[in-house]
Amino acid sequence: MILLLQQKDEAAFKELVMLYQHRVYHTVLGLLQNAADAEDTAQEVFIQVYKWVGQFRRDASLSTWIYRIAVTKALDFLRSKKTKTRFGFITAVFGNDNTPVYDPPNFDHPGVALDKKEDAALLFGLIKKLPLAQQAAFILNKLENLSYQEIAAVLNTSPAAVDSLLQRAKQNLKKVAAALGNNNPP
Amino acid sequence: MHKEDNNRIKKILDSLDGIQGAAAPDFFYTRLKARMQNELLGQPSAFIKLRPVLAAASLIAFLIINISTLRQLTHMQPEKNRKATIETFAAAYNLNTETVYE
Repeated sequence: MILLLQQKDEAAFKELVMLYQHRVYHTVLGLLQNAADAEDTAQEVFIQVYKWVGQFRRDASLSTWIYRIAVTKALDFLRSKKTKTRFGFITAVFGNDNTPVYDPPNFDHPGVALDKKEDAALLFGLIKKLPLAQQAAFILNKLENLSYQEIAAVLNTSPAAVDSLLQRAKQNLKKVAAALGNNNPP
Repeated sequence: MHKEDNNRIKKILDSLDGIQGAAAPDFFYTRLKARMQNELLGQPSAFIKLRPVLAAASLIAFLIINISTLRQLTHMQPEKNRKATIETFAAAYNLNTETVYE
């Protein structure tokens, strides 16, 4: 399949998209927490795969490579969004292309069970406050159920570093959740 | 921290356990293909990208050839022209250019 992809075979590319579209979309949606942005970014992931597949080493894991592109693209999107919001009054209201920079307060993930919707929306709000590397590790672990080894391969780091990222992410989430509880007594 | 608070925090942190995968929107591949056709096929070719460089190089080559030709002409032409003009005039009117003093 990789050989066909490297020859820009359209049928092979379609097969690849069909195979990975849901996983890529799910990962990107978890990080971006916006369906339209997630679809746009997932499309960019596959365009990147199409362009760069010639440089892919056949002994490497295709799924790890695709996950890596997806996480990189999503984090780039979040970084550019942060930069836009730092540009003061004008760009806080309007983006560079004069479209409003809209950040929905509560993200309703379609895969969450009904009885957990409220807590999950709260948790997604807290995840947004984490540093980007911790967000990526947490989403890959919780949403994609990837092992520490797999996350390490995607983030190009060691399993020990992933363990550290996840521990810090959980501690930070506990802290902000506790602060939220103190600010909003039942 | 109260036990209730701890339980509440744990419940929030565990809320993503057992989450189902979100499916990509319908017609994802169709929309991707349309975008790729716009982006990849709409890109200018290498020749078009190089066009400003080629145009500048051609213009410089054109100017160099013109300037060197003009310089050569200005150095060579006056004497040759003058001689040619006198000889042509004498031949055309059948004049003897020799003077009586010779």
